[in-house]
Amino acid sequence: MRRLLVTLAAGALLVTASACGSSGDSGASDPGSSSGGTTTVKLGLIPIVDVAPVYLGQKKGFYGKRGLKLEISTASGGAAIVPGVASGQFQFGFSNVTSLLIAQSSGVPVKAVSNGIASTGVAGKDFAAIAVKKGSSVKSAKDLEGKKVAINTLKNINESAVRESVRKDGGDPDKVKFVELAFDQMPAALDSGQVDAACAVEPALATIKSQGGQVIASPLVDVAKDTTVAMYFTSTRYQQQNADVVKKFQEATAESLAYADAHPDEARQIITTYTKIPASVLAQVTLPKWPAEPNKESIEALAKLGEEDGFFKKTPDVDALLP
Amino acid sequence: MRLQNAALGAAGLAAFLALGEAVPRLGLVREEYFPPTSRIASAFADELSDGAFWTALGDTLTGWALGLAIAVSAGIVIGVVVSVVPYLREATASTIEFLRPIPSVALIPLAVLLYGSELRSVLLLVVYASFWQVLIQTLYGVQDVDPVAEETARSYGLGTWARIRHVLWPTALPYVMTGVRLAAAVALILAITGELVIGAPGLGARIAVAQNSQAVPEMYALIVVTGILGLLINVGARTVERRALAWHQSVRGEVAV
Repeated sequence: MRRLLVTLAAGALLVTASACGSSGDSGASDPGSSSGGTTTVKLGLIPIVDVAPVYLGQKKGFYGKRGLKLEISTASGGAAIVPGVASGQFQFGFSNVTSLLIAQSSGVPVKAVSNGIASTGVAGKDFAAIAVKKGSSVKSAKDLEGKKVAINTLKNINESAVRESVRKDGGDPDKVKFVELAFDQMPAALDSGQVDAACAVEPALATIKSQGGQVIASPLVDVAKDTTVAMYFTSTRYQQQNADVVKKFQEATAESLAYADAHPDEARQIITTYTKIPASVLAQVTLPKWPAEPNKESIEALAKLGEEDGFFKKTPDVDALLP
Repeated sequence: MRLQNAALGAAGLAAFLALGEAVPRLGLVREEYFPPTSRIASAFADELSDGAFWTALGDTLTGWALGLAIAVSAGIVIGVVVSVVPYLREATASTIEFLRPIPSVALIPLAVLLYGSELRSVLLLVVYASFWQVLIQTLYGVQDVDPVAEETARSYGLGTWARIRHVLWPTALPYVMTGVRLAAAVALILAITGELVIGAPGLGARIAVAQNSQAVPEMYALIVVTGILGLLINVGARTVERRALAWHQSVRGEVAV
């Protein structure tokens, strides 16, 4: 009796919520609805520097000329995007490689469709770095032993990368104390001494540098040469049912990536339309690389590191994940 | 009296703003991370002249109003039904006590799974959080019905509906109004939190973008907006409460003093 009531109450709440919500939007809930030759696809993104190519590609008409209309939904973290794509709320999403490997190894049916971003591959000049406060006694990755290091998400790509930096520098990564902290809070935490080092990405990294912070290692460069950091992905079901849409998205995204990579000024310009990065900071930001193709060796390296560090339930199948 | 209160309130706010200007200027905290009031004010002015800000404000208010409306109607209807139908209250009491303390924010993964990052996800959180405020108050209100009045109504042959209308509802209304006032504030907090964490369009998402962008004054300007919004909603809810309960002792007493 009681269980029935709970179910009824919960059901009633969900129904009222959904009934009210759907009256507002114009039938966009139909996944990949097509009308007059254009297919509307929802893309789940985090509004950060990394995704500039799709905004640029949309503006340049790379998606439109293939009959795709992008409807961009922003989520504030990658964690919201993977379940969104898996449940069909979004047709495509953007997520870092380790998160995709974690999802794949836990049986979430995701499939990478296109490259996202790659590290610049230049130590000391990457969009991600381990940074310390001005005048810190920490001079290299090995010195991080016993120190507090801020990373945005524990047991994910940045932890893998920082651990690899420490390992390569001859240190023991198990002795590093990792603290979870959002990128945007890292400059202040570093400045006030709450953490000894931070694995930051742009634009937080530019803020740290502008305050005299020092870059001591480039973790993504230490993982592999030209590490593929994040990718666009879909669900395996959507890929099977809409292979032509996926193919069009793939082509349009590849064209957008190549264009953004070749026109960094236009990429910087488009970033101002969907973020609030101040112009003075944006000028200092190190842009990532946007190659059209993912680098398979680097993804295998991330899979291997993630496995060593115990992030996966079972060994992820890199070949099944990649397009 | 009222003028004096207003003057005191304004003086308190002015002192707070002056403190906000002085603390970073004196170097007690770094200006980059806690900008002085004047810089927040200029970022605030920039926001007001931006069309996207008003769209975001509209989105937040839509989520708040819709969520609150659903929660209030569901809370009142379910509350009255549960109280009126014998045994239903005993049957649901432990379930309500089990569900009520679950923080709405913990349901974010469920909301994203069901609705992705849009209004409906925010609505789920808002409704879940504010529903209990109204429900519990309604239950207490109905419990407070004077048994003599109830029996009198019964013996005069009033039907269930008439008894709800003339005996139960006037007794429960002050409680319900308290519930609605609490729910209005909770709904705003959850609407903005939902947008902030999920990324559904609205002021919360704008705060998240400002945070990610290292745009500190803009972030604080938006936080100030949410504060003002909370203040307005509270004043509004109190006004509604006073109007709806103009006949009630508690409000009449307040006016007479």
